[in-house]
Amino acid sequence: MNFNQFISYIAQGTVYTIGVTLIALPSGLLIGTILALLYVYGGKTAARLMNFYSTIFRGVPPVVLLFILFFAVSKGINLSAFLAGSLSLGIVSSAYQMEIVRGALLAVSGDQMRAARAIGLSQMQAIRYIVLPQAVRLAIPPWSNEVAIIIKDSSLVYALGVPEILRRAQLIGASSQQYLLAYLSAAVIYFLLVFLTTRLLNLLEKKLTIPSHP
Amino acid sequence: MKKSFLLVVALLIVASMLFACTSKSTSVLDKIQTSKKIVVGTSADYPPYEFVDEAGNKTGFDIELMAEIAKRMGVELEWVDMPFDSLVAAVASGKLDMSISCFNYDEERDKTVDFSEAYYTTEDAFVVSKAFTGTITAPEDVVNYKIGVQSGTVQDGWLTDNLITPGLMPEANLSRYERVDQAALDLANGRIDVLMADLVPIQAYVAQNPDLMVVYQGELSTGPINIVLPDGDADLKAEIDRVIKELQADGFIDALAVKYFSE
Repeated sequence: MNFNQFISYIAQGTVYTIGVTLIALPSGLLIGTILALLYVYGGKTAARLMNFYSTIFRGVPPVVLLFILFFAVSKGINLSAFLAGSLSLGIVSSAYQMEIVRGALLAVSGDQMRAARAIGLSQMQAIRYIVLPQAVRLAIPPWSNEVAIIIKDSSLVYALGVPEILRRAQLIGASSQQYLLAYLSAAVIYFLLVFLTTRLLNLLEKKLTIPSHP
Repeated sequence: MKKSFLLVVALLIVASMLFACTSKSTSVLDKIQTSKKIVVGTSADYPPYEFVDEAGNKTGFDIELMAEIAKRMGVELEWVDMPFDSLVAAVASGKLDMSISCFNYDEERDKTVDFSEAYYTTEDAFVVSKAFTGTITAPEDVVNYKIGVQSGTVQDGWLTDNLITPGLMPEANLSRYERVDQAALDLANGRIDVLMADLVPIQAYVAQNPDLMVVYQGELSTGPINIVLPDGDADLKAEIDRVIKELQADGFIDALAVKYFSE
């Protein structure tokens, strides 16, 4: 088996890695942002509920949630291994992303909200036009961290046999008995994925910077 | 508010458990015959039983055997690759119709799934590095060394039941690996002294790694290998057993063993 066959076989798994990331990340961001807004502006009860949510899902390893979704819950609702994996990662990530967005919302000074209300904006308008635009910029650096984690954590779906990068490295490592090469190839592919993505996010961060604003 | 939320969560969990417990009354065999398709799980990282070839297709002793079983049942075969640890759970939860992955009979596994008639018999091996200076003449000699094994395998069960539970060796001396090749790498690196594994696949590994050698072989934990079937599905078991006996009688399995194990 030559080296090119080796790399190309493992790299075919990138489709699944990107697929899982593309489901888990946006769904986690959407849920996380809504929950963070509820946490910060929804009053005491909502804050307590959100805190409960975040404690639960930050406390459960994604792979445990993955097995629960795939082996227990999906007896009723038939989830594929790919979907169960993407959803469990998305759910766990939503708790983390909620904390990221919450931190960014809190970092925008409360005076801004009061000032916005004073000039006659409703709370919704103030969030939409004053707080969120600033919070999004603040959230990008910690969020790029979460993106890198999701890309790498997508390897967890190997536990259900989704033929992503890690599982392919195991399979070709077993048949060729060249494990070191197989796992190194997988590491290189993951590194490239994370490197390119964080670079893109850095560019986005620069592009969105407000001139003369910290 | 918090209490009512907890109540809702608790109710959801109970509901999903009830849902999960609703047993299927019909045989998986009916489903297979109606859909003309059989969904079989394997962990294709275990040459020569199951592995991927250069083109990325599954091949091996178990793979060809299962293909022939499906052919004789007149149904299409759909492979699902899964890590070994997940296979029994996947059959028990109905995600797979059955699984063939060099499974030995095991009491723990028998609680959640059934086993077909044996289609072949395997042996255990102890492997050491050529630099190893100790002596292993009987299986019990391994208690003096650091030993590695693939977790969840029958070898793991044998070591635990026969050496650790009776107190012959401290649990700290046993390293359990997710995969046997990881244990073999640690053996080559000197983190463990001895590796216990299935003879045939580890012989293939040793042939590729001249620093290692087999010091002992015999039937300790292993023996007959079987197909893992859904629990209590007598119709399916009868059909699979019938085909296995047919394949043994007409020499198909022997020919396959010669092809893959040169026996």
